[in-house]
Amino acid sequence: MPSRRPPLLRACALLLLSLTATFFAGCGNDPNLQPEHEKRADGSPWQVRYSYMPDDPRSLDPQFAYDQMSRRLLEPVVDTLLEYHPFKTDPYEVMPSLLASMPERVKNPDGTETYVCQLKRGILFHNDPCFPNGKGRELTVQDVEYGWKRMVDPKVECPALSSLQDYLVGFGEAYETAKKADALDYSKPLKCFEIVDDQTFKVHLLKPYPQIIYWMAMHFMSPVAHEAVEYYDGKEHPDANGKMVLRPAFKWHPVGTGAFQLVEYEPASRARLVRNPNYHTVVFPSDGYPPDRADFLKQFAGMPVPLVDEIQVTIFREQTPIPVLFNQGYLDSMGVSKDAFNRVVTTAQELTPEYKKRGVALEKDLDVSTFFISLNMEDPVIGTNKKLRQALSCSYDGQSYVDIFWNGVSPVAQQLMPPGIFGYDKNYQNPYGYDLEKAKRLLAEAGYPGGIDSKTGRRLELNMEASANGSEERQMTEFVQKGFEALGIKVNVVENTFAELLRKEDAGKFQILEGTGWGADYPDPENFYMLLNSRNFPPEGKNVSRYKNPEFDKLFDKMATMDNSPERLQIVNHLRDMIGEDCPQIFTFHKAFFTTINPWAQRTSTNMLLEGAFKYQQVDPVMRAKLQREWNRTPKWPPFVLVLLIAGAAGYAIRLNRKRNV
Amino acid sequence: MIESLQHFFANWITQDVMVVAFFAAAIALLVRGSRNERWQRAWKFMKGDRLGLVAGVLIIGYLIIGGLDLLKISPTTSVFDWLANAVVGLQDEPTKASYSAPFATHTFSTAKPEPLQFPGRHFLGTTQIGKDTFIQALKGSSTALLLGGLTSLIYLPLGILLGISAGYYRGWVDDAIQYIYSTIMAIPDILFLIAFIMVFGKGVGTMSWALALTSWISLCRLLRGETMRLTERQFISAARALGQSHWNIITRHLLPNVMHLVLINFVLGFSGVVLTEAILSYLGVGTPIGTASWGQMIDGARGELSREPVVWWNVSAATVALFGLVLSLNLFADSLRRAFDPKRS
Repeated sequence: MPSRRPPLLRACALLLLSLTATFFAGCGNDPNLQPEHEKRADGSPWQVRYSYMPDDPRSLDPQFAYDQMSRRLLEPVVDTLLEYHPFKTDPYEVMPSLLASMPERVKNPDGTETYVCQLKRGILFHNDPCFPNGKGRELTVQDVEYGWKRMVDPKVECPALSSLQDYLVGFGEAYETAKKADALDYSKPLKCFEIVDDQTFKVHLLKPYPQIIYWMAMHFMSPVAHEAVEYYDGKEHPDANGKMVLRPAFKWHPVGTGAFQLVEYEPASRARLVRNPNYHTVVFPSDGYPPDRADFLKQFAGMPVPLVDEIQVTIFREQTPIPVLFNQGYLDSMGVSKDAFNRVVTTAQELTPEYKKRGVALEKDLDVSTFFISLNMEDPVIGTNKKLRQALSCSYDGQSYVDIFWNGVSPVAQQLMPPGIFGYDKNYQNPYGYDLEKAKRLLAEAGYPGGIDSKTGRRLELNMEASANGSEERQMTEFVQKGFEALGIKVNVVENTFAELLRKEDAGKFQILEGTGWGADYPDPENFYMLLNSRNFPPEGKNVSRYKNPEFDKLFDKMATMDNSPERLQIVNHLRDMIGEDCPQIFTFHKAFFTTINPWAQRTSTNMLLEGAFKYQQVDPVMRAKLQREWNRTPKWPPFVLVLLIAGAAGYAIRLNRKRNV
Repeated sequence: MIESLQHFFANWITQDVMVVAFFAAAIALLVRGSRNERWQRAWKFMKGDRLGLVAGVLIIGYLIIGGLDLLKISPTTSVFDWLANAVVGLQDEPTKASYSAPFATHTFSTAKPEPLQFPGRHFLGTTQIGKDTFIQALKGSSTALLLGGLTSLIYLPLGILLGISAGYYRGWVDDAIQYIYSTIMAIPDILFLIAFIMVFGKGVGTMSWALALTSWISLCRLLRGETMRLTERQFISAARALGQSHWNIITRHLLPNVMHLVLINFVLGFSGVVLTEAILSYLGVGTPIGTASWGQMIDGARGELSREPVVWWNVSAATVALFGLVLSLNLFADSLRRAFDPKRS
């Protein structure tokens, strides 16, 4: 009688086979999620862009969110009244989005101003369970008013309130009343917001404030459907079957009129945005293209947006996987980190041959920001001695700093305003820029020849507060310290966490404060020079240096309410010169970085102020699929060798087992 | 008053006097110890232990370098700086320079490679801000020496006093001391150190106090046990019978008989302090910015080893320097332990 295989052995063999099959089935290295759909309704391929961001958003409430990560997810979902043109950056320009046209500005005889705004017709909110039958209703002017009321609701804590209350009629008053009553009465109208009809409203200003159009391009002034705020309360409610279901809070479930809907967000992992089928608010612009890419962009002119159907955003807190996934073709673009810089970019600031061969494009982006070192004007040593501040400014070697820590990519800041802002003069040179000999001379004139106090004979010692998290920041601080100490003075570095540094900024407890800067809320000189206005002392404002100059304040007030004109330019230049002479800050750099883009995802917007640019992005899915296959080709023999090895080992084990059982 | 004291101690001349006094005291202690018969026997043994001797010579080398860097000739220049710059010709690059490889003539793979001011003169390359890595690695020993010295100055007297008191007086004194160190031992060392430094701020002084507060316990426990054993011996009973005071018994009979343990513990503790400094600096709570520290150099490797191409010389130099000192200290301590081992005699 032939011997039968023991049942345990057969089970083991089966398990081995199934494990092998599972192993090969799971061999794909694509970490992205399966797209929401394979094809569009018309049968064409469903198009997906794969993006990433370095951290989670703090909130997706349009009246609260302020940080870049939040804006990146919020702005594709929530439309603004106006929006930045995706290509016009010098100077920056805004264009209508939810508004049918640019607001009509009316100058009143009493010096106040009114902006008349008209909404586009037929704009629908996203389809969402908060609306009857889950169908998004039409946007009305009441939704805009509701969004504006949320700005003065103390429970929302809108960060734009402090800036706007000086200009919008009754805005601050409404906030104070609500704060006293511990709740905002949403039935009461706002004095600054007058409803004319279902599509028209007027905005009343206390005084001229041309920058209001930039605020209209920010999501603080976006319309909000009250149904969404009421429905998404973060509490449990019975569903259709009577089962209790937890609804997310509104700040994690934005319902807007934007080009995309947020359909999935998993903290510290990923977010998925899918096209809003009802979207027809704007189309792809047909002007303002950069000359070098006009030929490519012309094909999209006037096309409905979004150009793609889905955006997948992965949250990478670590840098390491980003270049790997980019090289495999699973990310469409990548910011070039300092560590990967030399592999991607040559010394001539071009792509290395390896990346050129792959068809990758290299883009240089300039953030609308300026970094600086603040000198405390209330400090008895630094604040009262202009020559000393000038000497410190002259001892800071900005070009070396940028070369060493920013790969020479970021431009050295010569003034407070970054490029692209009205009044920025690229030929302007800081009169107290790096010049060590001049610095030593100025220090001697300041009463410290060779760094020694001529009155006491002691070496001048200054304290510098710095945020020194990680070896890179410590090296940056040491560089600054080394530069100052080249004057013969002693600089004691006090290391702080970023939160501690902000506390010291607010309390004014510092002599020198290094490692902070300012990114533009909107592209106007007022948004930068307010940093040195004496009414803007911390903690309410951001005049960290506590610079107080009545002449500066007077000119600033005049400039703040002016339209761009030669007269305004003259004032802006005067403000710049005053700051250059008084040195309350040492300007360090304007942040810039390189981005690499895979060949199927050529760039279609160039404006760094436009976080919601996903809707203008395009992709060639066919080319991507082809190149992904090519770039991830693996040798075919290892699986066969592995199967042979496993089969051999299993055969040997079976034979051995049989022999033992005979 | 406090400000005047701070100025006094911050003055480089005062610091020089303190360094000289510290070395003089250490030498005096060794001279005094050499008269002790037990120490003489130990020295005879150690002379035959080649590994221990080599380790001892290396430690002396580190001590000399560290000592020269602690001795200043001006507020910003140490004797070591002067020797390295003026005599050997080693110098940091000016602020414009960044990384450069060993013996390189240009900066290393930055956007614009710049010629170095001192080409081919950096044996181990330069750091990100153009500091000579070889000088930094050598200067790291002064931070180690300063930290180890200050920590020892605090924890040795504390450990000796409490350890001998607990073992000699016993009763409630022993209970109280045991209670204190049991409580402190319940807190993980690294957490205690980080919390202490976060509360009192970064600085070599703060770190020394923090390290001392965690280091005295092992010495205290060791001396407590040894004192208990010694107090049972006849020479202590005889001293008591002759009416000697407690102070005399402790200082003349007990202390000389436990000093070898103190010495071994000191050497081992020193290597522990050096390693802990490196760990704390790696965690970003160690020595302040501007201090040459092996831990900070190793911390920098996080970015340097992941960049392309890799910058390997800083982490290598710091690791070799740290490894050399710690291994030497451990080998020397082992040699000391064997030299003083009663079973050997």
